[in-house]
Amino acid sequence: MSNDSSDRSLSSVITWNKDVKVMPYALFGVVALIVGAVAAIMTLINGHDTMFNLSPEVPWGLLIASYAFFVLTASGLAFIGGIGHAFGNSAYLKINRRIVVMAFAVLLAGFTQIGMELGHPLRLAWYMLVSPNFSAPITWMGVLYSIELLILAFELYLVLKPNPTEKDHRNSAVVGFCAMIFGVLAAATLGFVFGSNTARPFFHGSYFSTFFVVSGITAGAAMLLFVHNLVYWGRVPSSLSKTMSSLGKLMATGIGVMIFLYLWKILATVYTPAADGGYAAIRELLSGSLSTNFWGGEILLAIVLPLFLVLITKAQSMKMLGLAGFIYIVGFFFTKYDFIIAGQVPVGGDDFIGSGINRMADFQAYVPASGEWLIMLLGCGVFFTFYFFAEKILVLEKES
Amino acid sequence: MRYGMIIDLARCIGCNACTVACKSHNGTPKDIFWSQVLVEEKGEYPNARVVPTPILCMHCEDAPCVKACPTGASYKDENGIVHVNQDKCIGCKSCMVACAYDARKFMGGEPKSYFPGKEVTELEEVQHTEFSRGVVSKCDFCADRLKEDLLPACVGTCPAQARIFGDLDDPGSEVSKILVKKSGRTLLSHKGTKPSVYYLAR
Repeated sequence: MSNDSSDRSLSSVITWNKDVKVMPYALFGVVALIVGAVAAIMTLINGHDTMFNLSPEVPWGLLIASYAFFVLTASGLAFIGGIGHAFGNSAYLKINRRIVVMAFAVLLAGFTQIGMELGHPLRLAWYMLVSPNFSAPITWMGVLYSIELLILAFELYLVLKPNPTEKDHRNSAVVGFCAMIFGVLAAATLGFVFGSNTARPFFHGSYFSTFFVVSGITAGAAMLLFVHNLVYWGRVPSSLSKTMSSLGKLMATGIGVMIFLYLWKILATVYTPAADGGYAAIRELLSGSLSTNFWGGEILLAIVLPLFLVLITKAQSMKMLGLAGFIYIVGFFFTKYDFIIAGQVPVGGDDFIGSGINRMADFQAYVPASGEWLIMLLGCGVFFTFYFFAEKILVLEKES
Repeated sequence: MRYGMIIDLARCIGCNACTVACKSHNGTPKDIFWSQVLVEEKGEYPNARVVPTPILCMHCEDAPCVKACPTGASYKDENGIVHVNQDKCIGCKSCMVACAYDARKFMGGEPKSYFPGKEVTELEEVQHTEFSRGVVSKCDFCADRLKEDLLPACVGTCPAQARIFGDLDDPGSEVSKILVKKSGRTLLSHKGTKPSVYYLAR
């Protein structure tokens, strides 16, 4: 008898959704995971030199960009989930199981990227416990994102609990709020990992902490729009129309704030090029080696097209919202890649005689190696596998 | 005690003896340069010339690399020398991004030989045992030589005597006296890292 009831209660969470046709995505995830894992093993055996195209001029490359891409999206998702959980926003509460599963999967994907980018990933855990340097922003970033992962894991347990009690609902709200706070804090701290650098004037300051949080929340909304369209093959049920529309407006608002951030960062730097404010990096973005990425990848894909699609359809067309979400996600990746590479433009100026010649050429020679792309594919594989199998075997449609 | 160095640009002839001495003494693998000479071309033929600027780790008093290191692998000793503990380094490279002087080098693979297509020489093999894969390394003012009362390799080898080394905290040391007499400047002083390497103008 008790077994029956527990089975019934468990089946409210674990099932096999015949109607949810996500196996192609899940299988793509498995393939990507296998290919990426092979690249990861080869990197561990052969070292970075043979697999990555990094240099003294560009020590941080594609994998730092993909790490930021994944973890900031996770922060954004946690933020949106927090709005639903902590403030009772019914539009987001409807999809809160999806949000939590997605945030957890994306954050896991991000951890694979930073793990493979490190020269000694296994030493990290040990020495962060034995001799952490609390004056290093990267320490706090690691701590906060680790806490965020634990919070999301706990939240996952709470939202998927069969027959939740009133107390569970209250706990979910508290944990969801914590996930939101720690997600934002972690994203802002990741910004400070760059912002604390006096050596790289383009990175320095509070700009990227702000930009990371805003663009991450926007990416979270975009991800939800895109994935819902994937799950329903472009036919999102009308019961979720309000939710999708709300996410579309959130994404458009985020893009609007990003426009302001871009505009004033660029203007302030270009207006006073001598102020050591990263003029060389901005020049690289606007008219140098990264200009195609910037105008095509960032301005067109992260701003103009998604904003246009949301505005022209008044955030009512599900398909268009899904397309806008997908385009923004691609553009969002460019925003991370471009900023990381541009920020490492060699420090120049009269004070550093002879520094602006060969090092600039070496800087411009950075193109991610196939090994780096394959590690990024590993991250995508982790997300697709984890999320879409969860979509297949868990009941994610139900409001918890 | 704070070790420091003066590089007299008026004396430097850009011969790269310092670069070779550093590699020879420390046995740094191929493509890893702790000490190097930047060269800038000036003017046009027939009035062209090259202007050399030797650079190395500046052993900053307020070292951003030490602050940025998450595990404490980068640390400053009691003599003001910035070191990297290779056993603690996780290869995150945040110190490289934090360094305005490009003084830190990451070794992403097995040390390579300087003789393409050939195995490493016996000497290289011995010297390469000092270097771990996947960590950052840098100049340490030849701390092992200092223990034996020897000057850093780059200082000892400079044919033009363009490098002067000593204790910046000791008013009687040669470096302190020269800095009082001539106005030495540090590179990228506006970064506020307070380097221990000073340059005398050409």
